[in-house]
Amino acid sequence: MHDERMISFMFDTNLTKHLAELSKINFTDDEIAVISNEMSEIISLMDTVTEYNIDETFASADPVQFSDLRKDEIKDSFPREEILKNAKGKSDTCFKVPKVV
Amino acid sequence: MNDLLKCTVKELSNKLNKKQISAVELTDAYLKRINEVDGKVNSYITVCNEQARISAEKAQKIIDAGSANALTGIPMSIKDNICTKDIRTTCASKMLEDFNPIYNATVINRLNDNNIVMLGKTNMDEFAMGGSSQTSFFGGVKNPYNTECVTGGSSGGSAASVAANLCAASLGSDTGGSVRQPAAFCGVTGLKPTYGAVSRYGLIAFASSLDQIGPVARSAEDCGIILSAIAGRDENDGTIKNIDKADYCSKIGMSMKGIRIGIPKEFFGDGIDSEVRQAVMNAAKEYEKMGCILEEVTMPSLKYAVASYYLISSAEAASNLSRFDGIKYGYRSENGNTYEEIIKNTRHEGFGAEVKRRIMLGNYALSSGYYDAYYNKAVKIRGKIKAEYDEIFKTCDCILTPTAPSVAYKIGALENDPVKMYSADICTVTVNIAGLPAISTPCGYSSNNMPIGMSIVGNSLREATIIAVADAFEKQFETKEASI
Repeated sequence: MHDERMISFMFDTNLTKHLAELSKINFTDDEIAVISNEMSEIISLMDTVTEYNIDETFASADPVQFSDLRKDEIKDSFPREEILKNAKGKSDTCFKVPKVV
Repeated sequence: MNDLLKCTVKELSNKLNKKQISAVELTDAYLKRINEVDGKVNSYITVCNEQARISAEKAQKIIDAGSANALTGIPMSIKDNICTKDIRTTCASKMLEDFNPIYNATVINRLNDNNIVMLGKTNMDEFAMGGSSQTSFFGGVKNPYNTECVTGGSSGGSAASVAANLCAASLGSDTGGSVRQPAAFCGVTGLKPTYGAVSRYGLIAFASSLDQIGPVARSAEDCGIILSAIAGRDENDGTIKNIDKADYCSKIGMSMKGIRIGIPKEFFGDGIDSEVRQAVMNAAKEYEKMGCILEEVTMPSLKYAVASYYLISSAEAASNLSRFDGIKYGYRSENGNTYEEIIKNTRHEGFGAEVKRRIMLGNYALSSGYYDAYYNKAVKIRGKIKAEYDEIFKTCDCILTPTAPSVAYKIGALENDPVKMYSADICTVTVNIAGLPAISTPCGYSSNNMPIGMSIVGNSLREATIIAVADAFEKQFETKEASI
């Protein structure tokens, strides 16, 4: 079993780049170095949860409960032209994006 | 300054109904003060001059017809992460700088049904991520008690607009203390309702299992009046509780004799400034004089709460904010030739530093190899904290804690130290983690005249009780006005 408290020490620029990819954020190399340091400090704080040996019986407790669902009735959605109003790129009744394939 | 602008919602409602002032005159007086003073505070991102006057004229007709209720004609501000149809809603971010929602949040429709006057949209930490209201794309908010100090956050604009008499009341949102802590820093009252008491439809999501909209006002009673208007079932929010409309002021004036107040010792430890600790303990003694019974209680898991909160909220934020891709709405980068490049550049250029940190943290906590150690553990701690609250509420009617470890600090003091900034949320996050209601009200002033807030936490859906308990203290506490 690995030592969970060691996780934070592995926070390097490669991990930051991996997370930036997952996050879809295009950091510069200088920013990657800065954010690697910041994330190491933040993860040290987060490591406090790994110190806690918790009673598993609390695992299922969840304060979020769903209400009774509404009836499944067909209703009009927002008008297409309204939805497109905030788009930076549009063409007729579609969002416009660079060629994907 | 016109003394009317300092009145509570209840007082203003009486004056409007007695025709001592018209809704248009009242609205104009607030708009005039916003124009003159808000440059020093920066509490508003958008001021709705024309719409406010139209709403005021409509409200006055309803008052003249004798059909007014407690909120008719009351000028309010709204946090800028709550969607308002055709009025820009920015989340204080470059990403949504020119975003005009095509629908109203449920709370806005409900306030409109009560014919309030919306004066404008208030400044905040970008995407509600922060405790200082300094991360806004539109510049930081300044504390009306001392403009060199922060307002707290993230609903800093809402709290400052109430404290500086730039509105009668406001709506904020609270994910980890974002209504209560700025209310404490700005010397006003802020209520975070039970999770599921108020619809989140139209609240731009930060952390969906923690977010809740709540009022900021000059009194607990005003918070109750506003909550009575906005709470209750909404078919557009699947997590809302099946609760009927209620009068959340119904218990105001009840006897405090025999009310059992829990004092959790962990909230009064070394990390809490002595002046804050003393002010809250003095308030506890006042409650004792009113006949309340103080009971020392314990919350052993408090020391794990901040980390648990940040892991859960950041994980949810990473998912919620993935919708900001520059395609459907919001900022779009002009750099990049492919779909992927445009999305990555849009998010790099559109989000501020703190938002990017939270997204990175959230994806870290959720990613393969770290999920069990962080996110899953945080969820388990969430259950443990909820269980500890349940245990306390077996014997207590409510719990009394400081709202923040310190009073408002100087602008810039924590900006480059996220760990210190996160740790300062220690007094508020457990309430969101457990989904409980809590109200912060002023209970003292520091040696440098900055407000100190205390929080009264209730069991689930016991808003009426904590409002009454806060009101009992407010009735005998003399507040000091902001210097602005």
